[in-house]
Amino acid sequence: PDVRADDGDPAGDSWGIFTFLCAALCNLPALPALNCSEELGAGQSIQQTYDLTRYLEHQLRTLAGTYLNYLGPPFNEPDFNPPRMARAERVPSATVDLDLWRGLTDNARLAANYRAYSRLLCYLRVLDGQVGTAELRHRLSHFCASLQGLVLSIGGVMSSLGYPLPAGPVGPPGPPGASAAPNDFLKKMDDFWLLKELQTWLWRSAKDFNRLKKKVPPAVVTLRLEARGF
Amino acid sequence: MNVAVFRSMAPVFPKMASPVRSACCVVLAAVVVVYAQRHSQQDSHVQYERVGADVTMKCGSMDWDAAVTWTANGTDIDESHLNGSYLILKNVGLSQSGQYFCYEGSSWHLKYQTNLRVGTPPKEPVLMCRSNNYPKGFYCSWHLPTPTYIPNFFNISVIHGTKDMVCEKDSPPKNRCHIKYLQLFSTVKYKVTLTVTNALGKNFTTLTFDEFAIVKPDPPESVVAKPVPNNPRRLEVSWQNPSSWPDPESFPLKFFLRYRPLILDQWQHVELSDGTSHTITDAYAGKEYIIQVAAKDSDIGTWSDWSVAVHATPWTEEPKHLTTEAQITETTSVSTSSFMAPPTTKICDKGAMVGSGAMAVCWTAGLVVAAYSVLFI
Repeated sequence: PDVRADDGDPAGDSWGIFTFLCAALCNLPALPALNCSEELGAGQSIQQTYDLTRYLEHQLRTLAGTYLNYLGPPFNEPDFNPPRMARAERVPSATVDLDLWRGLTDNARLAANYRAYSRLLCYLRVLDGQVGTAELRHRLSHFCASLQGLVLSIGGVMSSLGYPLPAGPVGPPGPPGASAAPNDFLKKMDDFWLLKELQTWLWRSAKDFNRLKKKVPPAVVTLRLEARGF
Repeated sequence: MNVAVFRSMAPVFPKMASPVRSACCVVLAAVVVVYAQRHSQQDSHVQYERVGADVTMKCGSMDWDAAVTWTANGTDIDESHLNGSYLILKNVGLSQSGQYFCYEGSSWHLKYQTNLRVGTPPKEPVLMCRSNNYPKGFYCSWHLPTPTYIPNFFNISVIHGTKDMVCEKDSPPKNRCHIKYLQLFSTVKYKVTLTVTNALGKNFTTLTFDEFAIVKPDPPESVVAKPVPNNPRRLEVSWQNPSSWPDPESFPLKFFLRYRPLILDQWQHVELSDGTSHTITDAYAGKEYIIQVAAKDSDIGTWSDWSVAVHATPWTEEPKHLTTEAQITETTSVSTSSFMAPPTTKICDKGAMVGSGAMAVCWTAGLVVAAYSVLFI
């Protein structure tokens, strides 16, 4: 047991700070710059986007489980570890070199996320149209709606930080014939990899947005809002 | 063999003077003999046999009907174990490991020797892989569930998709190796295969996992719990990120705190999404608490093991506390000669206060009690 007698008295200092914060917060509504509920600061948007990726990751776990069972073995086996084939490269990959990932600018980081989820959303929508059971259709469409929300949220963060939204094809790239799988098994493989990449992207996004959270200071928030003439 | 080598040494120095030549030869011979003896002991034929097997040892090139004597670890072996000049050991056990020598009957020339090692083939090894330094890499460690009693060799292979990766062995603990991640956020699983081989057989085990699944930080370090002055129900707990976690900025950790008074079995839990300190506000006054903290990456992997347990007792108001105690003990104990000793220890233990102030308090309490006893006896 190593209980020591307390040396200083930080309690008194904390109370002072707390009182000051209360006073500051109470006076905030009076400030015109922040008296606008529609325009959220970039910091808060990043937090919301982060929360959304966590929510989607959780939703995906249930969706993937159901979908892989629908595909049947070997896709629903936990040890299933197929080699990555060339055709699977159409789906945007979250895999990245460690140092490259660290060195991404905020714009590049956000743009990568935006592009990836836009493409993934397209593929998922195609899937939604083809799926057999009603339960799966319901789950998929609900997930697509949430994923759409994520894309919009990322777009919102980019706009509030002054970055242009990445341009690009909205629909699945290439002529319709080329993207169709030659047989049933390969089609299922495509679906498997789509879900895998989606899962990995959601894990990566949590880390991307953690980094962004730390790098976007509150001061930027006020500056941007003032620039918009509030 | 030794003699032949000695003889071959002679023509090497034909031009040297005789006494010098003989001296050189003697020294050389001695060196050769010593070397050969040591060499024969280390490099002597080693024979590995399974526990429970029947072993037949032949005395080198001797005929079956030759007269020989076998010894095991210096003790002669009874003739009942011999079949002609062959030594038969049935159902060998671990205690029968050792040096076996076979000597020709009359001349006592050493004809054959072997080092018998009794053991077992390896059982399936236990393999564990973990990333406590995400995103730098991961390590794998292994062991055998039961000993084999003979030397074992481990070989580990790591395959990531189509790529073979090298797992670098750690120098102290040799049954551990580490790998650096080349890419992050991989969709392809890692497949680790550990093969263990010994003279009696081989076995292996495989682990397949995703990059995220094996993330488990080390427990938080430097956990400190302090009472808060003038707050009998509070305890201030603080800790540090585990030093093995390389990048808490980009890969923040979240924490789980558990605490209970020593006298109860039920733990209370608090999950903290960030920060490395917390104030417990519902501690039972005056009770000693045990506190532990665990860490986890905020998004992936599993919780660390619990940190080292820390003990703390919330602040209590001492002087008032003691006076009441002294009065109570004084009225309950009737005037006996041993009146003084028990109350003194009781008062000191009650608050469980450790520190320089406590000793002085004890003595004051003792004096107070002594004063009362003098007044009432």
